Amino acid sequence: MRPVLVGVVTALVLCAAIYLGSRELHNFDSALAPYAIASVFLAFGIAYRYTAWISSPGARRLFKKGWGAALSWRNLRRAPTALPRMIATYLGFQKFLGARSRARWAAHQLIFWGCLLAAAITFPLTWGWFTFTANTGAGPQYTMNIWGLPVVEFNALSLLGWVLFHGLDIAAVLVIAGATYFLIRRMRDREASTGQRFGYDLVPLLALIIISVTGLLLTFSSVALHGGGYEFLAVLHMAAVVLTLLYLPFGKFFHIAQRPAAVGMQLFKYTEHGEIRHCRNCGEPIDTTAYVDNLRATMRDLKLDFDGLAEVCPRCKRLRRGQAYRSTVKPGF
Amino acid sequence: MMGRTIVIDPGRCIGCQACVSACRECDSHRGKSMIHLDYLDQGGSVASSPTVCMHCEDPVAPCAQVCPAEAILVTPDGVVHDADKSRCIGCGNCVNACPMGVPKIDLAAKLQFKCNLCYDRTSYGLAPMCATVCPTGSIFYGTLEELRTERPGVEVASTFDFDGSIISTGVAMVVPRGRPVDEPLPGGAGEHARVTGSPQPAGHLEPSADNVLGDPL
Repeated sequence: MRPVLVGVVTALVLCAAIYLGSRELHNFDSALAPYAIASVFLAFGIAYRYTAWISSPGARRLFKKGWGAALSWRNLRRAPTALPRMIATYLGFQKFLGARSRARWAAHQLIFWGCLLAAAITFPLTWGWFTFTANTGAGPQYTMNIWGLPVVEFNALSLLGWVLFHGLDIAAVLVIAGATYFLIRRMRDREASTGQRFGYDLVPLLALIIISVTGLLLTFSSVALHGGGYEFLAVLHMAAVVLTLLYLPFGKFFHIAQRPAAVGMQLFKYTEHGEIRHCRNCGEPIDTTAYVDNLRATMRDLKLDFDGLAEVCPRCKRLRRGQAYRSTVKPGF
Repeated sequence: MMGRTIVIDPGRCIGCQACVSACRECDSHRGKSMIHLDYLDQGGSVASSPTVCMHCEDPVAPCAQVCPAEAILVTPDGVVHDADKSRCIGCGNCVNACPMGVPKIDLAAKLQFKCNLCYDRTSYGLAPMCATVCPTGSIFYGTLEELRTERPGVEVASTFDFDGSIISTGVAMVVPRGRPVDEPLPGGAGEHARVTGSPQPAGHLEPSADNVLGDPL
Protein backbone atom coordinates (compact mmCIF):
# COMPACT_ATOMS: atom_id res chain seq x y z
CA MET A 1 0.00 0.00 0.00
CA ARG A 2 2.83 2.35 0.92
CA PRO A 3 4.55 2.11 -2.50
CA VAL A 4 1.23 2.95 -4.21
CA LEU A 5 0.76 5.96 -1.95
CA VAL A 6 4.30 7.24 -2.53
CA GLY A 7 3.85 6.67 -6.27
CA VAL A 8 0.57 8.61 -6.40
CA VAL A 9 2.00 11.50 -4.37
CA THR A 10 5.08 11.68 -6.65
CA ALA A 11 2.90 11.65 -9.77
CA LEU A 12 0.69 14.42 -8.31
CA VAL A 13 3.74 16.52 -7.45
CA LEU A 14 4.95 16.18 -11.04
CA CYS A 15 1.49 17.15 -12.36
CA ALA A 16 1.59 20.27 -10.16
CA ALA A 17 5.14 21.06 -11.35
CA ILE A 18 4.02 20.70 -14.99
CA TYR A 19 1.02 22.94 -14.37
CA LEU A 20 3.03 25.66 -12.64
CA GLY A 21 6.18 25.33 -14.82
CA SER A 22 4.17 25.70 -18.02
CA ARG A 23 2.57 28.86 -16.62
CA GLU A 24 -0.78 27.20 -15.96
CA LEU A 25 -0.51 25.19 -19.20
CA HIS A 26 -0.07 28.40 -21.21
CA ASN A 27 3.21 27.05 -22.63
CA PHE A 28 2.13 23.41 -22.68
CA ASP A 29 2.45 21.89 -26.16
CA SER A 30 -0.56 19.61 -26.58
CA ALA A 31 1.18 17.78 -29.46
CA LEU A 32 3.61 16.46 -26.85
CA ALA A 33 0.90 15.50 -24.34
CA PRO A 34 1.43 11.70 -24.69
CA TYR A 35 5.07 12.17 -23.64
CA ALA A 36 4.07 14.29 -20.64
CA ILE A 37 1.41 11.76 -19.59
CA ALA A 38 3.93 8.92 -19.94
CA SER A 39 6.38 10.86 -17.74
CA VAL A 40 3.70 11.13 -15.03
CA PHE A 41 3.26 7.35 -15.17
CA LEU A 42 7.06 7.05 -15.11
CA ALA A 43 7.21 9.15 -11.93
CA PHE A 44 4.57 6.89 -10.36
CA GLY A 45 6.42 3.75 -11.48
CA ILE A 46 9.84 4.87 -10.25
CA ALA A 47 8.50 5.99 -6.87
CA TYR A 48 6.42 2.81 -6.50
CA ARG A 49 9.29 0.52 -7.41
CA TYR A 50 11.84 2.45 -5.36
CA THR A 51 9.67 2.34 -2.24
CA ALA A 52 9.05 -1.38 -2.72
CA TRP A 53 12.79 -1.91 -3.21
CA ILE A 54 13.89 -0.09 -0.07
CA SER A 55 11.36 -1.98 2.03
CA SER A 56 13.58 -5.09 1.94
CA PRO A 57 15.85 -5.31 5.02
CA GLY A 58 19.17 -5.03 3.20
CA ALA A 59 18.16 -2.05 1.06
CA ARG A 60 16.27 -0.31 3.88
CA ARG A 61 19.26 -0.34 6.21
CA LEU A 62 21.64 0.78 3.47
CA PHE A 63 19.21 3.55 2.43
CA LYS A 64 19.14 4.94 5.99
CA LYS A 65 22.88 4.57 6.56
CA GLY A 66 23.75 5.94 3.12
CA TRP A 67 21.62 9.06 3.47
CA GLY A 68 22.78 9.43 7.06
CA ALA A 69 26.40 9.46 5.87
CA ALA A 70 25.65 11.76 2.92
CA LEU A 71 23.87 14.33 5.11
CA SER A 72 26.22 14.00 8.07
CA TRP A 73 27.71 17.32 9.15
CA ARG A 74 30.65 15.44 10.68
CA ASN A 75 31.41 13.76 7.36
CA LEU A 76 31.09 17.03 5.50
CA ARG A 77 33.65 18.66 7.78
CA ARG A 78 36.01 15.69 7.69
CA ALA A 79 35.85 14.98 3.97
CA PRO A 80 34.08 17.89 2.25
CA THR A 81 34.99 16.72 -1.26
CA ALA A 82 34.05 13.05 -0.78
CA LEU A 83 30.42 13.32 -1.93
CA PRO A 84 30.90 15.52 -5.02
CA ARG A 85 33.99 13.54 -5.99
CA MET A 86 32.14 10.23 -5.77
CA ILE A 87 29.16 11.58 -7.69
CA ALA A 88 31.47 12.75 -10.48
CA THR A 89 33.77 9.72 -10.70
CA TYR A 90 31.21 7.10 -9.81
CA LEU A 91 27.89 8.22 -11.23
CA GLY A 92 29.15 10.54 -13.99
CA PHE A 93 32.34 9.03 -15.37
CA GLN A 94 31.66 5.53 -13.98
CA LYS A 95 35.27 4.62 -13.24
CA PHE A 96 34.22 1.24 -11.87
CA LEU A 97 33.08 0.22 -15.36
CA GLY A 98 36.58 0.92 -16.65
CA ALA A 99 37.86 -1.62 -14.13
CA ARG A 100 35.49 -4.17 -15.65
CA SER A 101 36.26 -3.46 -19.31
CA ARG A 102 37.41 -0.34 -21.15
CA ALA A 103 35.25 -1.05 -24.19
CA ARG A 104 32.15 -1.52 -22.04
CA TRP A 105 33.00 1.65 -20.16
CA ALA A 106 33.25 3.63 -23.41
CA ALA A 107 29.99 2.20 -24.78
CA HIS A 108 28.18 2.81 -21.51
CA GLN A 109 29.45 6.38 -21.38
CA LEU A 110 28.03 6.98 -24.87
CA ILE A 111 24.63 5.67 -23.80
CA PHE A 112 24.75 7.49 -20.45
CA TRP A 113 25.59 10.94 -21.80
CA GLY A 114 23.28 10.45 -24.79
CA CYS A 115 20.33 9.55 -22.55
CA LEU A 116 21.15 12.33 -20.10
CA LEU A 117 21.25 14.88 -22.93
CA ALA A 118 18.01 13.55 -24.40
CA ALA A 119 16.27 13.58 -21.02
CA ALA A 120 17.49 17.10 -20.25
CA ILE A 121 15.96 18.32 -23.51
CA THR A 122 12.85 16.17 -23.82
CA PHE A 123 11.32 16.27 -20.36
CA PRO A 124 11.33 20.08 -19.91
CA LEU A 125 10.05 20.47 -23.48
CA THR A 126 7.15 18.07 -23.02
CA TRP A 127 6.29 19.62 -19.65
CA GLY A 128 6.12 23.07 -21.22
CA TRP A 129 9.06 24.28 -19.14
CA PHE A 130 11.23 25.19 -22.14
CA THR A 131 9.82 27.44 -24.84
CA PHE A 132 11.43 29.11 -27.82
CA THR A 133 10.06 32.47 -28.97
CA ALA A 134 11.03 34.71 -31.88
CA ASN A 135 10.37 38.39 -32.38
CA THR A 136 9.89 37.87 -36.08
CA GLY A 137 7.80 35.02 -37.45
CA ALA A 138 10.58 32.88 -38.91
CA GLY A 139 13.54 33.93 -36.78
CA PRO A 140 16.46 33.50 -37.04
CA GLN A 141 16.75 35.32 -33.72
CA TYR A 142 15.27 33.15 -30.95
CA THR A 143 14.89 33.45 -27.20
CA MET A 144 14.96 30.37 -25.02
CA ASN A 145 12.68 30.64 -21.99
CA ILE A 146 12.62 28.45 -18.91
CA TRP A 147 9.36 28.60 -16.91
CA GLY A 148 8.45 31.56 -19.06
CA LEU A 149 11.57 33.52 -18.10
CA PRO A 150 13.96 34.48 -20.93
CA VAL A 151 17.32 32.77 -20.40
CA VAL A 152 19.37 32.96 -23.58
CA GLU A 153 19.02 34.68 -26.94
CA PHE A 154 20.60 33.04 -29.95
CA ASN A 155 20.67 32.98 -33.71
CA ALA A 156 19.16 29.78 -35.06
CA LEU A 157 21.73 29.75 -37.87
CA SER A 158 24.69 30.03 -35.50
CA LEU A 159 26.60 27.05 -34.05
CA LEU A 160 24.79 27.42 -30.70
CA GLY A 161 21.48 27.47 -32.54
CA TRP A 162 22.38 24.35 -34.48
CA VAL A 163 23.47 22.52 -31.32
CA LEU A 164 20.31 23.57 -29.46
CA PHE A 165 18.02 22.44 -32.24
CA HIS A 166 19.96 19.22 -32.97
CA GLY A 167 20.65 18.17 -29.38
CA LEU A 168 18.39 15.15 -29.72
CA ASP A 169 20.10 14.10 -32.96
CA ILE A 170 23.49 14.25 -31.23
CA ALA A 171 22.06 12.22 -28.32
CA ALA A 172 20.66 9.66 -30.80
CA VAL A 173 24.05 9.17 -32.47
CA LEU A 174 25.73 8.62 -29.08
CA VAL A 175 23.06 6.16 -27.95
CA ILE A 176 23.02 4.19 -31.22
CA ALA A 177 26.80 3.74 -31.09
CA GLY A 178 26.79 2.55 -27.46
CA ALA A 179 23.68 0.37 -27.67
CA THR A 180 24.84 -1.29 -30.90
CA TYR A 181 28.11 -2.27 -29.22
CA PHE A 182 26.20 -3.87 -26.32
CA LEU A 183 23.76 -5.59 -28.68
CA ILE A 184 26.58 -7.15 -30.71
CA ARG A 185 28.30 -8.16 -27.47
CA ARG A 186 25.13 -9.87 -26.25
CA MET A 187 24.94 -11.86 -29.48
CA ARG A 188 28.61 -12.87 -29.67
CA ASP A 189 30.09 -12.86 -26.18
CA ARG A 190 29.44 -15.88 -23.98
CA GLU A 191 30.10 -13.91 -20.82
CA ALA A 192 27.23 -11.60 -21.72
CA SER A 193 24.92 -14.20 -23.20
CA THR A 194 25.13 -16.66 -20.28
CA GLY A 195 21.73 -16.58 -18.64
CA GLN A 196 20.61 -13.51 -20.55
CA ARG A 197 16.87 -12.91 -20.80
CA PHE A 198 15.19 -11.32 -23.80
CA GLY A 199 12.90 -9.04 -21.81
CA TYR A 200 15.53 -8.00 -19.30
CA ASP A 201 18.73 -7.78 -21.34
CA LEU A 202 17.82 -7.30 -25.00
CA VAL A 203 14.58 -5.28 -24.94
CA PRO A 204 16.26 -2.23 -23.30
CA LEU A 205 18.94 -2.12 -26.01
CA LEU A 206 16.41 -2.60 -28.80
CA ALA A 207 14.21 0.12 -27.27
CA LEU A 208 17.11 2.59 -27.14
CA ILE A 209 18.04 1.87 -30.76
CA ILE A 210 14.44 2.11 -32.01
CA ILE A 211 13.90 5.42 -30.21
CA SER A 212 17.15 6.84 -31.56
CA VAL A 213 16.69 5.64 -35.14
CA THR A 214 13.09 6.86 -35.39
CA GLY A 215 14.19 10.17 -33.86
CA LEU A 216 16.93 10.58 -36.46
CA LEU A 217 14.47 9.63 -39.21
CA LEU A 218 12.25 12.54 -38.11
CA THR A 219 15.12 14.91 -38.78
CA PHE A 220 15.87 13.12 -42.04
CA SER A 221 12.23 13.46 -43.07
CA SER A 222 12.14 17.21 -42.42
CA VAL A 223 15.58 17.92 -43.95
CA ALA A 224 15.62 15.60 -46.95
CA LEU A 225 12.03 14.50 -47.63
CA HIS A 226 10.24 17.82 -47.07
CA GLY A 227 8.32 16.19 -44.23
CA GLY A 228 7.43 13.03 -46.12
CA GLY A 229 6.30 10.28 -43.73
CA TYR A 230 6.78 12.64 -40.79
CA GLU A 231 3.43 11.94 -39.15
CA PHE A 232 3.87 8.18 -39.30
CA LEU A 233 7.44 8.46 -37.95
CA ALA A 234 6.28 10.80 -35.19
CA VAL A 235 3.68 8.28 -34.03
CA LEU A 236 6.22 5.44 -34.22
CA HIS A 237 8.79 7.44 -32.25
CA MET A 238 6.22 8.47 -29.67
CA ALA A 239 5.00 4.90 -29.20
CA ALA A 240 8.60 3.69 -28.70
CA VAL A 241 9.36 6.42 -26.15
CA VAL A 242 6.09 6.00 -24.23
CA LEU A 243 6.43 2.21 -23.98
CA THR A 244 10.07 2.55 -22.86
CA LEU A 245 9.17 5.08 -20.17
CA LEU A 246 6.46 2.77 -18.86
CA TYR A 247 8.89 -0.18 -18.88
CA LEU A 248 11.71 1.76 -17.23
CA PRO A 249 10.88 1.18 -13.54
CA PHE A 250 10.32 -2.55 -13.95
CA GLY A 251 13.24 -3.79 -16.02
CA LYS A 252 16.95 -3.32 -16.44
CA PHE A 253 16.68 0.46 -16.64
CA PHE A 254 15.79 0.53 -12.95
CA HIS A 255 19.53 0.30 -12.26
CA ILE A 256 19.56 4.04 -13.04
CA ALA A 257 17.54 4.60 -9.86
CA GLN A 258 19.45 1.98 -7.86
CA ARG A 259 23.01 2.91 -8.75
CA PRO A 260 23.28 6.02 -6.54
CA ALA A 261 22.93 3.63 -3.57
CA ALA A 262 26.56 2.74 -4.25
CA VAL A 263 27.64 6.28 -3.38
CA GLY A 264 25.73 6.04 -0.09
CA MET A 265 27.32 2.66 0.56
CA GLN A 266 30.83 3.99 -0.10
CA LEU A 267 30.28 7.03 2.12
CA PHE A 268 28.79 4.97 4.94
CA LYS A 269 31.46 2.30 4.69
CA TYR A 270 34.62 4.27 4.32
CA THR A 271 34.01 7.88 5.36
CA GLU A 272 31.99 7.64 8.53
CA HIS A 273 34.08 5.43 10.81
CA GLY A 274 37.58 4.27 10.10
CA GLU A 275 37.53 1.38 12.55
CA ILE A 276 38.20 -2.03 10.97
CA ARG A 277 36.68 -5.34 12.11
CA HIS A 278 39.11 -8.26 11.98
CA CYS A 279 38.43 -11.95 11.54
CA ARG A 280 37.75 -13.56 14.92
CA ASN A 281 39.83 -16.49 13.87
CA CYS A 282 42.89 -15.33 11.96
CA GLY A 283 42.87 -11.56 12.57
CA GLU A 284 42.77 -10.61 8.88
CA PRO A 285 40.75 -7.44 8.21
CA ILE A 286 37.18 -8.12 7.06
CA ASP A 287 35.63 -4.69 6.59
CA THR A 288 34.75 -1.57 8.55
CA THR A 289 33.07 -2.11 11.91
CA ALA A 290 30.06 0.01 10.92
CA TYR A 291 29.55 -2.13 7.82
CA VAL A 292 29.88 -5.50 9.62
CA ASP A 293 27.46 -4.39 12.36
CA ASN A 294 24.99 -3.25 9.69
CA LEU A 295 25.28 -6.59 7.88
CA ARG A 296 24.72 -8.54 11.11
CA ALA A 297 21.62 -6.47 11.85
CA THR A 298 20.36 -7.12 8.30
CA MET A 299 20.90 -10.86 8.76
CA ARG A 300 18.99 -10.81 12.06
CA ASP A 301 16.13 -8.94 10.33
CA LEU A 302 16.03 -11.77 7.81
CA LYS A 303 16.11 -14.45 10.56
CA LEU A 304 19.50 -15.64 9.28
CA ASP A 305 20.67 -16.41 12.80
CA PHE A 306 24.21 -17.35 11.84
CA ASP A 307 25.07 -13.64 11.69
CA GLY A 308 28.02 -14.18 14.04
CA LEU A 309 29.78 -15.81 11.10
CA ALA A 310 29.99 -12.40 9.45
CA GLU A 311 32.89 -11.76 11.81
CA VAL A 312 34.86 -14.70 10.43
CA CYS A 313 36.68 -14.21 7.13
CA PRO A 314 35.56 -16.32 4.16
CA ARG A 315 38.75 -18.37 4.16
CA CYS A 316 38.44 -19.29 7.84
CA LYS A 317 34.79 -20.26 7.27
CA ARG A 318 35.92 -22.74 4.64
CA LEU A 319 38.82 -24.00 6.72
CA ARG A 320 36.58 -24.53 9.75
CA ARG A 321 34.06 -26.47 7.71
CA GLY A 322 36.75 -28.51 5.97
CA GLN A 323 38.57 -29.28 9.20
CA ALA A 324 35.31 -30.21 10.98
CA TYR A 325 34.47 -32.56 8.07
CA ARG A 326 37.94 -34.07 8.31
CA SER A 327 37.82 -34.57 12.06
CA THR A 328 34.22 -35.76 12.53
CA VAL A 329 32.73 -36.94 9.22
CA LYS A 330 35.58 -38.64 7.39
CA PRO A 331 38.33 -38.76 10.00
CA GLY A 332 41.84 -38.36 8.75
CA PHE A 333 41.24 -38.49 5.00
CA MET B 1 19.50 -31.12 -3.24
CA MET B 2 19.04 -30.38 -6.93
CA GLY B 3 18.41 -33.22 -9.39
CA ARG B 4 21.58 -32.83 -11.40
CA THR B 5 24.17 -31.24 -9.20
CA ILE B 6 27.74 -31.21 -7.93
CA VAL B 7 28.72 -33.73 -5.29
CA ILE B 8 31.98 -33.04 -3.46
CA ASP B 9 34.14 -35.65 -1.81
CA PRO B 10 37.03 -33.88 -0.05
CA GLY B 11 38.49 -37.31 0.76
CA ARG B 12 39.34 -37.74 -2.91
CA CYS B 13 40.87 -34.28 -3.39
CA ILE B 14 44.61 -34.29 -4.03
CA GLY B 15 44.95 -30.50 -4.15
CA CYS B 16 46.15 -30.47 -7.76
CA GLN B 17 44.40 -27.15 -8.56
CA ALA B 18 43.09 -28.50 -11.90
CA CYS B 19 39.59 -27.28 -10.90
CA VAL B 20 40.96 -23.81 -10.12
CA SER B 21 42.68 -23.60 -13.50
CA ALA B 22 39.65 -24.91 -15.38
CA CYS B 23 37.32 -22.50 -13.60
CA ARG B 24 39.57 -19.65 -14.68
CA GLU B 25 38.94 -20.66 -18.31
CA CYS B 26 35.18 -20.27 -17.99
CA ASP B 27 33.73 -17.79 -20.47
CA SER B 28 31.53 -16.06 -17.92
CA HIS B 29 34.42 -14.90 -15.70
CA ARG B 30 37.55 -15.19 -17.80
CA GLY B 31 40.84 -15.22 -15.92
CA LYS B 32 39.28 -15.38 -12.47
CA SER B 33 38.69 -18.61 -10.62
CA MET B 34 35.48 -18.91 -8.66
CA ILE B 35 36.38 -22.19 -6.99
CA HIS B 36 38.25 -22.23 -3.70
CA LEU B 37 40.78 -24.89 -2.88
CA ASP B 38 41.90 -24.88 0.73
CA TYR B 39 44.73 -26.89 2.21
CA LEU B 40 43.33 -27.98 5.55
CA ASP B 41 46.53 -28.99 7.27
CA GLN B 42 49.38 -27.24 5.55
CA GLY B 43 52.73 -28.70 6.38
CA GLY B 44 51.06 -31.64 8.15
CA SER B 45 49.26 -33.56 5.43
CA VAL B 46 48.06 -33.24 1.84
CA ALA B 47 44.41 -32.87 2.93
CA SER B 48 42.64 -30.31 0.80
CA SER B 49 39.06 -29.33 0.15
CA PRO B 50 37.42 -27.72 -2.88
CA THR B 51 34.54 -25.29 -2.30
CA VAL B 52 32.05 -24.30 -4.97
CA CYS B 53 28.86 -22.34 -4.36
CA MET B 54 26.60 -24.68 -2.42
CA HIS B 55 23.44 -23.09 -3.91
CA CYS B 56 21.62 -22.82 -0.57
CA GLU B 57 17.98 -23.93 -0.74
CA ASP B 58 16.68 -23.41 2.81
CA PRO B 59 17.09 -20.66 3.85
CA VAL B 60 17.25 -19.83 0.19
CA ALA B 61 20.46 -18.07 -0.88
CA PRO B 62 21.43 -15.91 2.15
CA CYS B 63 23.68 -13.96 -0.24
CA ALA B 64 20.67 -12.97 -2.34
CA GLN B 65 18.60 -12.15 0.74
CA VAL B 66 21.12 -9.70 2.19
CA CYS B 67 21.87 -8.07 -1.18
CA PRO B 68 20.63 -4.47 -0.98
CA ALA B 69 20.57 -4.11 -4.78
CA GLU B 70 18.50 -7.20 -5.73
CA ALA B 71 21.48 -8.24 -7.81
CA ILE B 72 21.57 -12.00 -7.16
CA LEU B 73 19.03 -14.02 -9.11
CA VAL B 74 17.91 -17.50 -8.09
CA THR B 75 16.50 -19.33 -11.12
CA PRO B 76 13.66 -21.86 -10.73
CA ASP B 77 16.18 -24.70 -11.19
CA GLY B 78 17.74 -23.71 -7.85
CA VAL B 79 20.90 -22.13 -9.25
CA VAL B 80 22.06 -19.07 -7.31
CA HIS B 81 23.61 -16.81 -9.93
CA ASP B 82 26.52 -14.42 -9.72
CA ALA B 83 25.64 -10.75 -9.37
CA ASP B 84 23.83 -8.93 -12.15
CA LYS B 85 26.48 -6.56 -13.49
CA SER B 86 24.09 -3.66 -13.92
CA ARG B 87 22.85 -3.87 -10.34
CA CYS B 88 25.75 -4.97 -8.12
CA ILE B 89 27.07 -2.02 -6.11
CA GLY B 90 30.02 -3.91 -4.66
CA CYS B 91 28.99 -3.59 -1.01
CA GLY B 92 30.26 -7.05 -0.06
CA ASN B 93 27.19 -8.07 1.97
CA CYS B 94 27.05 -11.39 0.12
CA VAL B 95 30.75 -12.07 0.70
CA ASN B 96 30.45 -11.85 4.46
CA ALA B 97 26.92 -13.23 4.88
CA CYS B 98 27.70 -16.46 3.01
CA PRO B 99 28.25 -19.12 5.69
CA MET B 100 30.34 -21.15 3.24
CA GLY B 101 32.84 -18.39 2.35
CA VAL B 102 32.12 -18.49 -1.37
CA PRO B 103 31.51 -15.11 -3.07
CA LYS B 104 34.41 -12.91 -4.11
CA ILE B 105 34.40 -9.20 -4.69
CA ASP B 106 36.36 -6.92 -6.98
CA LEU B 107 36.39 -3.61 -5.14
CA ALA B 108 37.64 -1.53 -8.08
CA ALA B 109 35.01 -2.95 -10.44
CA LYS B 110 32.34 -2.81 -7.69
CA LEU B 111 31.33 -6.30 -8.67
CA GLN B 112 30.77 -9.61 -6.96
CA PHE B 113 31.83 -12.88 -8.55
CA LYS B 114 30.80 -16.35 -7.58
CA CYS B 115 30.34 -19.85 -8.89
CA ASN B 116 27.13 -20.07 -10.91
CA LEU B 117 27.39 -23.81 -11.49
CA CYS B 118 28.90 -22.96 -14.91
CA TYR B 119 25.45 -21.94 -16.11
CA ASP B 120 26.73 -21.49 -19.65
CA ARG B 121 27.49 -25.22 -19.63
CA THR B 122 25.01 -26.83 -17.21
CA SER B 123 22.02 -25.12 -18.82
CA TYR B 124 22.99 -27.02 -22.00
CA GLY B 125 23.47 -30.34 -20.20
CA LEU B 126 27.27 -30.17 -19.94
CA ALA B 127 29.16 -30.70 -16.68
CA PRO B 128 30.80 -27.67 -15.01
CA MET B 129 34.46 -27.01 -15.79
CA CYS B 130 35.70 -28.12 -12.36
CA ALA B 131 33.89 -31.46 -12.46
CA THR B 132 35.01 -32.05 -16.04
CA VAL B 133 38.71 -31.81 -15.21
CA CYS B 134 38.87 -33.22 -11.67
CA PRO B 135 41.17 -36.23 -12.05
CA THR B 136 40.02 -38.05 -8.92
CA GLY B 137 36.26 -37.55 -8.96
CA SER B 138 36.41 -35.31 -5.90
CA ILE B 139 34.05 -32.99 -7.77
CA PHE B 140 31.32 -35.05 -9.43
CA TYR B 141 28.46 -33.68 -11.52
CA GLY B 142 25.29 -35.65 -12.16
CA THR B 143 22.32 -37.19 -10.42
CA LEU B 144 22.55 -39.32 -7.29
CA GLU B 145 21.67 -42.36 -9.41
CA GLU B 146 24.55 -41.64 -11.79
CA LEU B 147 26.91 -41.22 -8.82
CA ARG B 148 25.76 -44.55 -7.38
CA THR B 149 26.31 -46.27 -10.72
CA GLU B 150 29.95 -45.20 -10.51
CA ARG B 151 30.30 -45.64 -6.75
CA PRO B 152 27.83 -48.27 -5.50
CA GLY B 153 26.33 -47.59 -2.10
CA VAL B 154 27.74 -44.09 -1.76
CA GLU B 155 25.85 -41.76 0.58
CA VAL B 156 25.58 -37.99 0.34
CA ALA B 157 24.39 -35.24 2.66
CA SER B 158 23.23 -31.75 1.81
CA THR B 159 22.44 -30.12 5.15
CA PHE B 160 24.88 -28.19 7.34
CA ASP B 161 24.71 -27.25 10.98
CA PHE B 162 26.10 -23.82 11.85
CA ASP B 163 25.78 -23.74 15.62
CA GLY B 164 22.14 -24.79 15.49
CA SER B 165 21.26 -23.01 12.24
CA ILE B 166 20.49 -25.69 9.69
CA ILE B 167 21.11 -24.88 6.02
CA SER B 168 20.16 -27.26 3.25
CA THR B 169 21.95 -26.86 -0.03
CA GLY B 170 21.61 -27.74 -3.69
CA VAL B 171 25.16 -29.08 -3.80
CA ALA B 172 25.90 -32.22 -1.76
CA MET B 173 28.89 -33.82 -0.06
CA VAL B 174 29.86 -37.46 0.16
CA VAL B 175 29.57 -38.98 3.63
CA PRO B 176 30.82 -42.37 4.83
CA ARG B 177 28.49 -45.30 4.41
CA GLY B 178 26.49 -45.96 7.56
CA ARG B 179 26.37 -42.35 8.68
CA PRO B 180 22.72 -41.21 9.00
CA VAL B 181 22.11 -39.20 5.80
CA ASP B 182 19.73 -36.80 7.53
CA GLU B 183 22.38 -35.87 10.10
CA PRO B 184 23.67 -32.41 9.14
CA LEU B 185 27.30 -31.95 8.27
CA PRO B 186 29.24 -29.78 10.71
CA GLY B 187 29.53 -26.15 9.60
CA GLY B 188 32.39 -25.75 12.05
CA ALA B 189 30.85 -22.56 13.40
CA GLY B 190 31.60 -23.26 17.04
CA GLU B 191 35.19 -24.18 16.42
CA HIS B 192 38.33 -22.28 15.74
CA ALA B 193 39.99 -23.24 12.51
CA ARG B 194 43.64 -23.98 12.74
CA VAL B 195 45.14 -21.08 10.89
CA THR B 196 47.17 -22.45 8.04
CA GLY B 197 49.55 -19.64 7.38
CA SER B 198 52.52 -21.65 6.23
CA PRO B 199 53.57 -21.49 2.56
CA GLN B 200 51.30 -23.02 -0.03
CA PRO B 201 52.40 -26.55 -0.84
CA ALA B 202 52.07 -25.80 -4.54
CA GLY B 203 54.96 -23.35 -4.50
CA HIS B 204 54.13 -19.74 -5.27
CA LEU B 205 50.65 -20.21 -6.67
CA GLU B 206 48.36 -17.39 -5.67
CA PRO B 207 45.98 -18.77 -3.05
CA SER B 208 42.56 -19.35 -4.50
CA ALA B 209 41.13 -18.36 -1.14
CA ASP B 210 41.49 -14.67 -1.86
CA ASN B 211 37.91 -13.34 -1.68
CA VAL B 212 38.78 -9.68 -2.01
CA LEU B 213 40.24 -8.66 -5.34
CA GLY B 214 41.73 -5.21 -5.72
CA ASP B 215 42.66 -2.88 -2.91
CA PRO B 216 41.44 -4.48 0.34
CA LEU B 217 39.11 -2.17 2.26
